[in-house]
Amino acid sequence: MGVDETQMNAEQIAIPGVKSARERASELFAAARRDIYRQTDRLFAALMVLQWIGGILFALWVSPLAWAGTASSTHLHVWAAVLLGGVISLFPAALAALRPGLPSTRYTIAIAQMLMGALLIHLTGGRIETHFHVFGSLAFLACYRDWRVLVPATVVVALDHMLRGVFWPQSVYGVLVASQWRWVEHAAWVIFEDIILLFAIRQSVVEMQETADRTAALEHEVRTRQQAEMDARNSQARNDAILDVALDCVILMDQTGRIVQFNPAAEQTFGYTSREAVGLHLSELIIPSHQPETDRGSLARFLETGDASVMNARLELTAVRKNGEAFPVEVAIAPISADGSAMIAGYMRDITERRSNEAELAAYTRDLEVAHETQRENSEQLAALVAQLRLTQRRAEDATRAKSDFLASMSHELRTPLNAIILYSELLQEQAEDEGEQRAESIADLQKIQSAGKHLLELINGILDLSKIEAGKMALSRDSFDVQEMIEELLDTVGPLVRKNNNVLSVNYGDHLGMMHSDLMKTRQILLNLLSNAGKFTRNGEVTVSVVRRTENGAALVEFTVTDTGVGMTEAQSQKVFDAFTQADVTTTRKYGGTGLGLALVSRFCDLMHGSVSVVSRPGVGSRFTVRLPLEAAVVDVPETVAVG
Amino acid sequence: MFPRFHCSSHALRPGLWSWLAAVWLAVAAAGLAVLWAYDNAPGESATAPTRWPAATALARSHNGATLVLLAHPQCSCTRASLAELAETLARATVQPKTYVLFLKPDGFSDDWAKSDLWRTAAAIPGVTVVRDDDGVEARRFGVSTSGQTLLYDEAGTLRFSGGITGARAHQGDNDGRRAIVDLLNRGTAQRATTNVFGCALFNSRM
Repeated sequence: MGVDETQMNAEQIAIPGVKSARERASELFAAARRDIYRQTDRLFAALMVLQWIGGILFALWVSPLAWAGTASSTHLHVWAAVLLGGVISLFPAALAALRPGLPSTRYTIAIAQMLMGALLIHLTGGRIETHFHVFGSLAFLACYRDWRVLVPATVVVALDHMLRGVFWPQSVYGVLVASQWRWVEHAAWVIFEDIILLFAIRQSVVEMQETADRTAALEHEVRTRQQAEMDARNSQARNDAILDVALDCVILMDQTGRIVQFNPAAEQTFGYTSREAVGLHLSELIIPSHQPETDRGSLARFLETGDASVMNARLELTAVRKNGEAFPVEVAIAPISADGSAMIAGYMRDITERRSNEAELAAYTRDLEVAHETQRENSEQLAALVAQLRLTQRRAEDATRAKSDFLASMSHELRTPLNAIILYSELLQEQAEDEGEQRAESIADLQKIQSAGKHLLELINGILDLSKIEAGKMALSRDSFDVQEMIEELLDTVGPLVRKNNNVLSVNYGDHLGMMHSDLMKTRQILLNLLSNAGKFTRNGEVTVSVVRRTENGAALVEFTVTDTGVGMTEAQSQKVFDAFTQADVTTTRKYGGTGLGLALVSRFCDLMHGSVSVVSRPGVGSRFTVRLPLEAAVVDVPETVAVG
Repeated sequence: MFPRFHCSSHALRPGLWSWLAAVWLAVAAAGLAVLWAYDNAPGESATAPTRWPAATALARSHNGATLVLLAHPQCSCTRASLAELAETLARATVQPKTYVLFLKPDGFSDDWAKSDLWRTAAAIPGVTVVRDDDGVEARRFGVSTSGQTLLYDEAGTLRFSGGITGARAHQGDNDGRRAIVDLLNRGTAQRATTNVFGCALFNSRM
């Protein structure tokens, strides 16, 4: 491969993380230039010192003394050689030692070399031979292969000639009067050499660049090959690792079916070691030869006849282990290309367990199908049962509604004669009182009749209301009333009852109670029941009514709170206190009386009016009932066909 | 061959190097300027007699020009004058009678006078080297600077007096040499006098 071709390929191949050949060539070129600069700096440093020493020796040899008659002194040339030569030489020599390779160093060296030339020409008496120092120095400076260094050198030579031509023309041109442009002629010869040197420098730099390009290309090619070899090794290592840890058997074969690689899973499955298996024919190894041809299947045919129909297909065969045990395997055969030669990869899996699992799964499936059928039958039965239940429920509801209707009408029928009994007992009681003490015994009896009648009426009214509510026949009226006035009137009615047990009744009104648009009678009934209870279960205590107006979730409501310091209730009693016909316990009825319907009605009325009632109570401390009713109640319509009371 | 340094150069700031380079260049230029001034500083010119001095012991040529160069035997600058003398005689188509007189002060040995310059002068064809004891002849010719060259024609008339170098110890073309060659070859020259660059022949003790 030629260099150009190699270079071209190197440019095309880019290895991640590795510099391109062009970058590398630039780097090599720069390094070569840097080396040249530094090396030439050191050469010039040595030359400077040698020139300095040479100038001193020359001055000492040629003009050691300056004479005036019989007197002598050290010649100025000696001092010039020592001091001026030292100044000119040592600074660039120091730069070369301390700052090698820098542009300023070589420019300084170029100037110094030309100044040293001027000094040496002086020390040698302006000999024409010494002028070759100038041209030799330019050639030496060209060793830098940097044309820029020729510029300051040429300028120094031109300035030397120009200035001496102006002030001492005879010393440089040999005539006392010379043209002011004659220095140009001298400078032109120097430039002439510069031009020649420029060509040489350019050629040299081109060759350096070519060398750097070739070196970079070779480095890149070497690196590419090394990378390719490393990739191949890594790939092989990866493949080996994959084969080593593979759960399935992986067997690589040549085109004749001869085993070339036998992975650990295959060793474990078939019982052969890799050393035993490699080199053998696969069909000889895992398919018993005594089996009929039909049993050996497609794999054997492929391996023996080259039948390619099994390629890239999954087969299930029966194979044998080293110990002769036959077992089912799943086989996939695929052609692969390795190291440029065609090979065959066989992937095999012992499916004994899978077969067993499949059999179990089939059994489970059958069981599930039976269970599913059973479940379907149960579901049908359940649906029938549900339909039966719905029918029964409808009948129960109809019965309940009939019961409520019956109770409503029955209560009405009971209440009418009961009212007559009560009224007549009152009349008799009034007559008895008018007649005096001789009828005192009759009065007591009449009072008992009246009391029993009122209790019975109260009970019947409660039952009637509950029946209406349950039958959906309780209607709500919409009345507009002042809340505070309603409370005042209520307290006038219930106040004596509450104070009867030596209780103190107090009331607290919140701000801006205003009007309430709801069912006045039921609102009164709710509060009446609560206050009656409070007065009934409180003795020598305090009953307080608080009324405030609130807003909850954007809806205005009125909150009535009835608090007493009576007997209180336990938690369990509080939870069932709103149930019908329920009091705190059976002894309560005996001790305090009551129907057990008051709070149940409170709860039903609150629900009917879209309000709520709650209780907080502690035994021996008292109870606090809180009723929240909407300020604007909805009207509940009742079918007109129903007429109650 | 040369020690390599890598660390100390970076200790100085780059600007300092620029200043050092400027100072260095200024000192070098000043030194060269001093050297140039010294090399171009002429010696004391001669007050040579316009007619061949009668008192001289040198014999003048009566059928041609006579050239006299007075030299200090230890003056290094005079080496350039002798080289120019050889160049002059080589270019002259008519050879003058040529004397090179080397100063020999009293008290100095003969070897002091017969230095390598003596031998150089003696090696130039047609040159007669003469020892000038205590500068007697130099005084007769009114010369006080080594390298002073006098040209008398066949009539004994002074035709040129001056140096034949362009600067001190400086070889190469110069007006003095050119004038003598012209006088010898063509009988005329653009210059009859030039500056002379060389050591003083006398000092206060002579």
